[in-house]
Amino acid sequence: MDVVLHLPVVPNVELVAAKAVETVGGALGMHQTGIEAASVAIVEACLNAMEHGGGQMVIRMSSENPEGKSCLVIEVEDQGEGFDPAEAPRNSASRVHGCTSKRGWGLTLIRELMDEVQIRSNPGQTLVRMRKYVESAP
Amino acid sequence: MNDEQMRLSKDVVSEGFGLIAAAGYINNEGGQAIADAATELIDGGCGTLLIDLEGTRIINSIGVSILLEIMEKLLEDKGQLAFCNLTPTISKTFEIMGLVQYATVFPDRDTARSELMGNASV
Repeated sequence: MDVVLHLPVVPNVELVAAKAVETVGGALGMHQTGIEAASVAIVEACLNAMEHGGGQMVIRMSSENPEGKSCLVIEVEDQGEGFDPAEAPRNSASRVHGCTSKRGWGLTLIRELMDEVQIRSNPGQTLVRMRKYVESAP
Repeated sequence: MNDEQMRLSKDVVSEGFGLIAAAGYINNEGGQAIADAATELIDGGCGTLLIDLEGTRIINSIGVSILLEIMEKLLEDKGQLAFCNLTPTISKTFEIMGLVQYATVFPDRDTARSELMGNASV
């Protein structure tokens, strides 16, 4: 099962991607909690792509079975300037209170909510690839 | 996407204790709607706020960052913020972003009310 979405930058378009996760994840037999975690992760990936990507984004969803374990694979691709993933902020709950800026949580949430995350970024293309296993722990 | 339209109500349950029920997508607009309701309740004398998120299944970090600002406003006034009816993913998101360090989470509204009523200035 492969799904490809070409999404424009319009308000709340990230919900289209979240709805697709719900449908595909449900078809794979994912638990509701796993679907909701993947939905929040794709919303954050879409928000990053809309903020930094400079135009239309492409979402791909598919299933894989590495080592016999079924998983949902989500890719979010944009054509922005790119960034160094190693330099991306890794926020921590301990720095929240009293901190002036409360933004920049997207990648932290994606990494915490998904089972595997890979980011490839070069000028003109950033690809966030995430896996959520069907039998993932909540 | 209409299911995700924010539906919100607010009420003063007892003196000093305000309740906000919010269902829908907590993004910048949804978060701001909750913040506006919270500000009205706080300015009206509620030092304890319970936010019931039954019916909310999807959030984003921008919306949660606005909830963090409510928390800070309440903490400045020595108030108390609590949530109930969180999905496991929303609960985990609040934990990751540090909201649960300063707010209390209850499984449901009845439990929250019985625990918080004693703490509100009644």
